[in-house]
This record gives sequence, C-alpha cells and structure tokens, in this order.
Amino acid sequence: MRAQILGGAALATVLVLASGCGSKKAPEPAAAAGGSGVLTLGASLSLTGTTAKEGGLTKEGYEVCKKVVNDKGGFTAGGTKYTLDIQYQDDTSKQDISAQLVDQYNDKGVKLILGPYGSGPTEAAAAVVERNKQVMVDSAGADDKIFAKGYQRSFAVLSPATSYVSSMVQALSDLANPKPKTLAFISADDGFSKTATQGGTDKAKELGFQVLATEYVPNGTTDVSAALTKIKRLKPDVIVGSVHLAEGVAIVKQAKELGVVPAGGFAETVAPPIPDFAKSLGAAADGVLGSSQWTARTAGTDKYFGGAADYARTFAAQYGGRQPVYQNAQATAACLAAVLAVEKAGSTDPDKVRDALAALDTPSFFGPIRFNSKGMNVTKPMAVVQIQSGKPVPVWPTDSASGSLKWPATSA
Amino acid sequence: MTQFVQATLYGLLQGGLLALVAVGFSLVWGVMNVVNLAHGAFVLGGAYVALELHDALGLDPFVSMVPAAAVLFALGYLIQRYLVNLVVNAPIFITLILTFGLEMVLENLLRVWFTPDYQSIPTGYAQDSLRLPGDIRIPYGKLIAALLAVAVTVALVYFMRRTRTGLSILATGMDRGAARLMGVKARHVYALTFGIAAAMAGAAGAAEGAVRTFSPADARSFTLFSFVVAVLGGLGNMWGALYGGLVLGVVMSWGSQLLSGTMVNAVAFALLVVLLAVRPQGIAGKAFYASRVEV
Repeated sequence: MRAQILGGAALATVLVLASGCGSKKAPEPAAAAGGSGVLTLGASLSLTGTTAKEGGLTKEGYEVCKKVVNDKGGFTAGGTKYTLDIQYQDDTSKQDISAQLVDQYNDKGVKLILGPYGSGPTEAAAAVVERNKQVMVDSAGADDKIFAKGYQRSFAVLSPATSYVSSMVQALSDLANPKPKTLAFISADDGFSKTATQGGTDKAKELGFQVLATEYVPNGTTDVSAALTKIKRLKPDVIVGSVHLAEGVAIVKQAKELGVVPAGGFAETVAPPIPDFAKSLGAAADGVLGSSQWTARTAGTDKYFGGAADYARTFAAQYGGRQPVYQNAQATAACLAAVLAVEKAGSTDPDKVRDALAALDTPSFFGPIRFNSKGMNVTKPMAVVQIQSGKPVPVWPTDSASGSLKWPATSA
Repeated sequence: MTQFVQATLYGLLQGGLLALVAVGFSLVWGVMNVVNLAHGAFVLGGAYVALELHDALGLDPFVSMVPAAAVLFALGYLIQRYLVNLVVNAPIFITLILTFGLEMVLENLLRVWFTPDYQSIPTGYAQDSLRLPGDIRIPYGKLIAALLAVAVTVALVYFMRRTRTGLSILATGMDRGAARLMGVKARHVYALTFGIAAAMAGAAGAAEGAVRTFSPADARSFTLFSFVVAVLGGLGNMWGALYGGLVLGVVMSWGSQLLSGTMVNAVAFALLVVLLAVRPQGIAGKAFYASRVEV
C-alpha cells in the first residue's frame, strides 16, 4: 500500500515536471485567416536598479500603446484580427540580464521584442535578437555604436545619440543672442554619453564655436565638482552636459556651490525634460536647455494616436493627468512601429515583420518613422527645450516651438 | 594653486559627509563583527523621512536629522533584536547573507513607497557658499554636514567612553563572554548598538538629502563607500570613520583633478588595497579587533 502511494506520488511529480518543462511554444494561439489572435511582444525593462525610473517611464509608454490599440479593437494582419499583449521582465538595469531575458523570450516563442531602457542593455539585447532571428524595435537605445555592427533585425525609432548634443549646439547657433563663442563639455563616461559628446563637439567646431574642454565624470555620479573646478578658470560661455538625470542635477547644483557661472547658460541632454530635474533644482533649473526626442508640439499624426497633443491627452487620461515625457513617447512609438509593421507584413512571422519594418515610412505623433539601412531613424529631428518657470518649453526647431529662447539664461 | 586649494577643501567637506554616512557602519562592524550590507538602505530611510517631513511640515533637512535618527533608531533596534540576533553567533558569511537580503527588501520597499523618482530636499541656502580669497567657495550645505560629522563623532566618543551604556557596548565588543559575566545583557547591547548605528545612518541620510539627489537605487553605493571608509579608518576606534572619510574625500578629490570618469573610483579602491597591505588594521584601528575570539 505504502509502495503504491509512493509510486503514485512519484508519477504525479514526473507528470507535473513534464508539463512544466519543455514549454518552448508560441504563446499566441494559432490564428487562422479570418479568425482572431493575440500578438505577444516581449520587453526586458529596468524596473529595479539604477535606471528604474526611466524603465518605469518606458513601461508606461508601452502600456499606453497596448491600451490604445486594444481599445480600438486591435488591428488586422493578413485577415486576422489581433489584440496586443506585452510581457515584461525586470532586467535590474543590467545589460547581461537584459540579454538573458531576450533569450528566454525566444525560448518561449516570443519573437517580437520591444527594446529595454538604455544603450547598454539595448546593445546586449540586439546581439541576442540577431542570433535568435527575433526582431526588436528599440525605444531607448540611442548609441550609434549599436547600429555600427551590421545588425539587420534591430530598429530604433528614436534619433541617434550623436543628435542629442548637436541639436542643442545648433539651437544655440540659430537662436542665442548674443551668440556664445566658447563651450565646455562635461560628459558621463558611458558609451551613449560619450557618443553624444562626440556628435556635439563635431557640430560645435563645424559651426565655429571654440571647444575649451571636455571633462568626463563617472556615469550616474552626484559629484561633478572636479570637472567644474577645472572648467571654472576657462570661463566658458556655455557648459554643455552630456549626462543623465543625477549628473545633470549635480552640474547645476555644484556649479552654484562653486561659483561657476557661464556667461550664457547650461545645456544638458536627457535630464531637463524629466520633471524630477526642475523639482530637484527649483529656481536654479530655469534657463537650462535640454534636448528632447519628442515634445507635445512634434509634427505628424498617425491613425492610432493622432498628433503629439492628442498623445499627451491620451497619456494624461491614463496616468492621472500627468503629462508624458519623451521617454514615454518614444516607448509608445516603438510599440506603434511594431504594430504597423505586423499590419503591413500581414503576418507575425519575424522575417516578414523585419522586412516590413525595414520598409516602414510613416508619419506619427512621434515624428517621421523611417529607418536607414542600419536600422536608425535619422529622419526624425530632435527638439530643444528650455526650462522656463519650472516647465520645459520647446524652443527649437522654431516651427514646432511654443516659446522663444531666453538668453543669456544665467545672471552673474 | 587656487584650483588645488578648492579641490582640497571640497574633498574635506565631501569626506566629512562620507564619514557621517559611514560612522554607524563602522560601529556595528567594530562592536558586533557584523558587516551590515543594509546600511545604505538605512541612510536612504533617513533621507526619505526628512523628505516627508519637509513636504508635510516644511522642516529643514538638517533639523529633520533628529526625527530621522529617532525613527531609524527604532527600526534598527527592532531589526537587530528580532532578526540579526538570530544569527549573530553564526559565521560572518551568514550575517552577510542576511543583511544583503535585508538590503534588497528595504530598497524595494522604498521603491514601492516612494517610487524610483530622483528626489532632493530644497533648503534655499545649501547651495550658497562662503567666498574666500581667490574665489574659493565653501558651500554651506556641505559645511554644515561636515561640521555635524565631527560633532556626531565627538558625541559618539563621549558616549562610548564616559557613559555606562557606552562602556558596556565597548566591553561587549571586546569580550562578549567576560561582559556577560559582569552582568551585561549582550542581546540588549547589540540591539542598542545597531539602533545607534541606524540612527546615525538616518541622520546622515537627512543631510545627504539636502546636498544631493537620491533614489532607492543609491542604497548600494552608500554601503560600498561606508565599507571603504570603515576599512580605511579602521575598526575599534570611534574616530576611525572620520579619518577614513576625510582621507577618502581628499584623495578622490585630488584623483579626479588628474584622472577622468570612473577612473576616480579606481583611486579609492587602490588606496584601500595599499592601506590593507601596509597597515591592515586601518588608519586608527586596533589590530585586536581583527583577531578577537568570541565566545
């Protein structure tokens, strides 16, 4: 009797294990033409760790896309009606984990991937996507180096890193009066920020600015005092930060502590459009220029989200009246590109979706989405904002600006 | 020359802040032989208490150091009494795992309660600075924090050397068996020590909130730098964390004048390696603490 019970238990265990293992199956039900199905996208996101804030913003953007597409009844591809589902996994802000998670999605049959947050995790994920013949729409990996490796299956909706600083330099050249002559750069030492700095210094030299110094600080640091101390004696007209939020806040805070007052003002990537920037700095944030992938005045419309202002309203309705930041919008745009590509391909087959993405050429609430042969969206312009009375105001390009540049932005 | 003086002064101020963050970590390690990997989460706990008090009552973060310390004392006492005490006799590896797990739980609780947003506590004066000849600046926020670090260290030394409770903590740290024979309740003393350390971490967090941005993800870097400061300064001497913090602050400030980017962190750890090779007990530490036997 006892042996029977043990034997039964062992058999049950084996059955349970067998049913749990070897589950390499496509999660979406087989959808016959004329039927309905679910398109599952996989996203490895930094929901904890150093970029948890930005990962959360990216997830919000993906969720807006899912809700809007599904509220419209889904979309049709090849005669089949699909609704959208997005699976999330936390990569803890680490690029090796991001790569592992994308691999796990492949094991589960999820071939279409939405990008993680940040260039490091995106670069790691892109290599795996290429190997597994998955397809990734990148929402937040801007480093040009990701696209210099000949990958054919990763497509970034956002403007590349080189345009983050160069757009601000161009805006200074076009709008600042008196026009600044000298610039000093403070760059975080991660790949994305260094690439952005390189793009900015090249543009500055091309436009006739004198670059006095380029100082590198540890990525994510809250102490940039050494760089500022070195720059102080050079008396630059503008201090340009190629940074993230923590370093961006530190530049303005510690410049005040150390009495470093550029004659024109500060310009920084990434940080200024995020509300935490103005909240942390208070009045000291006013006048700081920032580059932005998107603003509520970006030109272009699409059938799902309408224009940029419509998107802002949709987002606010879903998130308690909060206005979207560009990290939200770029995530939604990546998801939109995936949906449009599947529609165009008429299939969820990854090879067909890849070809459809490569040929995609469409306006959208995020601006034009069109990829070059490397998978970069080089047609979409960056916007430049300036913090005025605690709010980011689009000031460049002037055809989509809602305010004028206040210059000089600092007072001695 | 001005640049060098500015870097040195700024490094000293940063070092004072590092010392304030690390002094509790050093105390727990020295007395209880517990490397508390959750220390950084306690520092952040203090920062968030100060932030809440600022938002609700408009309290200045340096004033909030007192309530932040009180809240963290209670938390630290309870955690030690009912959690860490369960494994305090186990090998150090077990306490490392426990406090590592605790750090993960606390960090994620902070993330759930306060969101991963970057925060800072505005004061209106912390970024203003004292102007010395040669346009050398001493920011008030960091100056106050550094002076408080010295004051806290002096108070700790007084408490440890001049009060009955302090002496019983020291005695338990030196020889738990003998202290017990003299009537000291080791369990209570350990909880008290952990509570005091958490209180100092909470006070340091409130000060940090006034001079920098913070988010739950910063817990590990606070712990990491506390570790470096404690080892540099040496265990078993209440001045150790202050010396360690000041030396680390100045060396990193000088290092970042010569090197760029993340290489600066390499300077901090190179200093640690050199010191461990030359003087394993740290700047002010007592060799006894490395070789004591606990019963």
